Parts: sequence; C-alpha cells; structure tokens
Amino acid sequence: MIAFAPGRAIEPYVEFARKAFSREATYRFEVLTSIGSLVLRVYLLRSVWIALYAQNAAPAGIPLHSMITYSTVALLMSLILEVDGTRLIRDKVREGTIATDLMKPIDLPLYFFSEGFGMTMFHALTILPSLLLALLLVRIDVPGFGALACFALSFVFGYFVNFFLNFLMNSVAFWTLETFAIQLMVRWASDLLSGQILPLTFFPGALGWIVERLPFAAIYSTPLRIYIGELPQSEWAGAIAAQMLWLALFAALSYFVWRAASRRVVVQGG
Amino acid sequence: MPPIISTRDLRKVFRVIDRTPGLAGTLKTLFSRKYSDRVAVEGVTMSLEAGELVGYIGPNGAGKSTTIKMLTGILVPSSGEIVVAGLVPYRERKRNARNIGVVFGQRSQLYWDLPLIESFELLRAIYHVPHDRYRQNLAAFSKLLELDEFIKTPVRQLSLGQRMRGDFAAAMLHDPKIVYLDEPTIGLDIVAKEAIRTFIAEVNRERGTTFILTTHDLADVERLCRRIVLIDHGKLVYDGEVETLKEQYGTHRTLVVEFSDDAAEVAVAGAEVESREGASVRYRFDRRTISADQLIRRVADTYAINDVTLEEPDLESIIRRIYVEGYAA
Repeated sequence: MIAFAPGRAIEPYVEFARKAFSREATYRFEVLTSIGSLVLRVYLLRSVWIALYAQNAAPAGIPLHSMITYSTVALLMSLILEVDGTRLIRDKVREGTIATDLMKPIDLPLYFFSEGFGMTMFHALTILPSLLLALLLVRIDVPGFGALACFALSFVFGYFVNFFLNFLMNSVAFWTLETFAIQLMVRWASDLLSGQILPLTFFPGALGWIVERLPFAAIYSTPLRIYIGELPQSEWAGAIAAQMLWLALFAALSYFVWRAASRRVVVQGG
Repeated sequence: MPPIISTRDLRKVFRVIDRTPGLAGTLKTLFSRKYSDRVAVEGVTMSLEAGELVGYIGPNGAGKSTTIKMLTGILVPSSGEIVVAGLVPYRERKRNARNIGVVFGQRSQLYWDLPLIESFELLRAIYHVPHDRYRQNLAAFSKLLELDEFIKTPVRQLSLGQRMRGDFAAAMLHDPKIVYLDEPTIGLDIVAKEAIRTFIAEVNRERGTTFILTTHDLADVERLCRRIVLIDHGKLVYDGEVETLKEQYGTHRTLVVEFSDDAAEVAVAGAEVESREGASVRYRFDRRTISADQLIRRVADTYAINDVTLEEPDLESIIRRIYVEGYAA
C-alpha cells in the first residue's frame, strides 16, 4: 500500500456487514416469527412473574414492576445478543471453506465480527416493533437519562464480551471440528448465569456472590441492574469497569486462541 | 524475466494420528495417541513463466491440492522454497492473495443468498479494485460469460453452469496475475464446459494471466495446456510439453478390425490382440516396428474384413498408463 488509507482498508468490512445485513433481510418470514415469538415470551414471562409475586410480595427485594421491566428488556436485548456471527467459524472450519477465505486479502477475525455486526444491525431494527407490540401487553419502567445512558454503555460492553465468548467457543472447532457439546454447556451456563432469565440476586448467599462475579454477568446482568435501578449509582462505574476487565481478558484470550488456530491451519492444513 | 512461480525441493509432511481399528482400538486412540508422518509433497521443483497455462495433473491424493495450498500461502511447507510473483506466499499471505485468483469447481466463493452482482461488489471492496477498472472488467466478463441474464439472481437459484461462470468472473475481477483452477469443469455439461474452456483460453491470451489447472478431465488439458506437470505420490514424474509426452508414450496405437465372419484364428505378425468381441478385434501395435498401412494389408491378405478403424492414443490413456506403470523416460 502506498499511503495509509483507513477508509479503503475498512471498506471490505463495511461491505461484509452490509451484505450480512441484506442477507438477514431476505428471510422475511423469520423476522415476523421472531417478533411474534418475542412478544409471546414477554407476555408469558409477565404472567409467570405475576403468579409468583402473588405468593411472595418481593422475592430478592425486587418489586413486581421492576421484575417485569427486567424480563422484558432482557428479551429485547436477546434480539441482539443471540445473534452469533462467529458461528461462521465453526461452519467454515467444518466444511473446509475457511481455506478459500484465507486465500483472500482479509483479516478473518475482523471479517467474522463484521458479519455478526451486520446481522446484529438488522435484528436491532426488529427491536422497535417488538417493543411497541410488547407495550400493548406489559408496562415497563423507563429510568432517568443518566441510568439510560449508562445502561447503553454497559450494553455495548456486554455485546463485546458476548462476541468474544462466542468467538472463543466457535474457535474450538479448529481442534475438535465439533463444538456442539461445548456450545450446549456454555449456552446453558450463560442463559442461567448471565441474568438473562433470572436476576442474579435470586441466587442465594455465597453462590450469588460468585455468580455476580463471573464473566457471564457482564452480558445481561450488569446493564439490566443499571436499568431497573437495582444497582446504586455509586456502583455503576465499578460494574462497568468489571465489564471492561472481562472484555480485555476475553479479547486477549481470543487473540492467542486465534493465533494458535491459524498456526494449526497453516501447519496441519485445517 | 524471472519466473512468476518457482519452487525448489518443496516438501510437506503431515503428522497424522495412527488409529487402531475396532472399538478397543478407538478407546485406545482416545487415551494414547501415536503419530506417524505422511509425506504429501516430496521435493517438487518447478518453475512457471508469466502467461503460461499449465496442467497440474495427478491421481487423487497425489499432492496436488497440498501444492496449491502452499502456493496460495495458506499452508507452510515443511521444507523447500517457494516464490510467487516475488513473494514468499506463507510469509505474506495477504499480499500474495492480491496477486492470485482461485476457482474451485466443488465450492463456490459467491454469497449463497445474495444476487451474483452483490458478490462482485463485495470482491471489488476486498481487492480495492478501482471503480473504472471494475466496470471495465465486469462488462468484459459479462460479455464473455453471458452473465447478464442471471446477474441479479440469487446464487442459490443458479444452475451449476451459471454458478461456475459467476465464480470465474469473481476470481478475475481484480486482475490477478495468477489463477489457480481446481476442477473448474466438474459436473458441467459439454456446452458449459466448452464455454469455460473458451473463457480460460481467451483470458490467458488477451490478458497474459498465468493459469495452473488442476483437473481429472484431461480433455481440459488437451484443449488448453501446452505444458503439463504430472505428480504422483508427492513426486514430480513429468514436466514438459503435452505433445512430447504423447510422442513418447504414444508409440502404441490400436487398430480395430471388423471381420466378415467370426474367424477362429485372428493372429497377425507384428501386432498383439488386445481384446476380442465377436467379429470385432482390437490389435495393439508399435508404430516404430510396423505402420498402420502394413498392418491393415497383412490382416486383409489373410482374412476377410468388413471395416477398420485406427485409434490414436489420447492423453487420458497415456496418463492412465503412467499412473499404473510409473513414468519411464
């Protein structure tokens, strides 16, 4: 390259993201069903919480309206967080098409990220209609501007922690080809331990203390606790710092895993 | 000018796990693994001039794709040297990638769910092809490959022939110096095959693109390549002109004679009976000891015949013999 041209260097990745976006858009029926199923889940969870709260006024010290807000916002977040662009790694390693990608002048991890990001952007568009439909069925709290901004920031960090977690998990394919078992395990752990289904304050005593300090908490729990006001304002900075720590750690780990994986490909032929 | 591709003593050894058969063996492999070395490419030395169109031929497992992977920079050789367009591919994978194009008959590099044109646009961005050049190339390839009728169709709806035409254009949009073709005509009908071959020949002639063609369809090679490199068990067994190979190996020809009746005795001096099917007999003879004309006269003098056909050896039968008997210059 003659001159440093960031615009030109980034162009392929912008293009990857755009293609991933339009590819997602080709499956219109899937969009409708995903919105439909989301709204249904919002309603079902609301009913479950109302029934549970009828037995116990405020388990784990969270009032009912906060709980319904929590589960609804968590479901809306899952529209973005459940998109896994790095699934491509596993598919491409298994089918051997990773070789053709390596024959292109591109940075592969960045390529996987752009794919995922493009897909995410499309699914982000479904958040608004899902939210509007959900609001016909449930009422949710809206926090002050400060909490909302902090939630957004925390959500972005959570997004990246989630990305690297998926990246690491799918990269296992370079060694085992099959990632189903590990995927199931991590998925199960993260569903439960990230606070997606249940606020982590529901875990009792020492278990709760541990669970809140695991990296999974950085994905759903931290932004959601900020959103519903369960986390005092004085602890926001600390919580976001913890997310950044996990992010840095996972990013570093991903870097080394990727280096080992590509070395393996170029030596053993994938 | 230095050669565009040169390799010296190129070697690739893979470490493979020894598996013991049976259930007990499977369990054993799970806990204690023994490795052994499998030599995929053993000391390949070759050199290509810019603008050459070379057939790289060998039976399955001969080491062809391992060689191609090393040339494209995605596999590090165990030992030996490679230089492709002035670069050592595995040290500068991305820079090398800008110089090359690849077409795989068995797997597409096009975006499955999107219209063909969108894959082209993506490739333009990946290779930073200037817009003018992109438009020129797209127009030229659309004309040669008749892409217009399906350029807006999603790739998953294309026929194999259309998809291959799309893949060829995709591989050439960034004006690669070298293009690696791996079984580019596999599964295509005769018309589609011919369209692809014409395209390769045209691009090679007009643009001076260097092609390495890996194929099992030797008609591709006969039609396109002057030079052929033959590899077997990882070793180079022949590197030279297709014509030379034919002359060397094509010493034996076949005369098919249709007799008027099922003669019991069909032996003729100077030729051996290769096979016999009713009244039709195939004679194999060495053209250095007897001419076709002489042989026909000899047969006709002794027996009553209806018809004769002379078969020239084709590349396919020559290569088949080399695979079986080995190459002896």
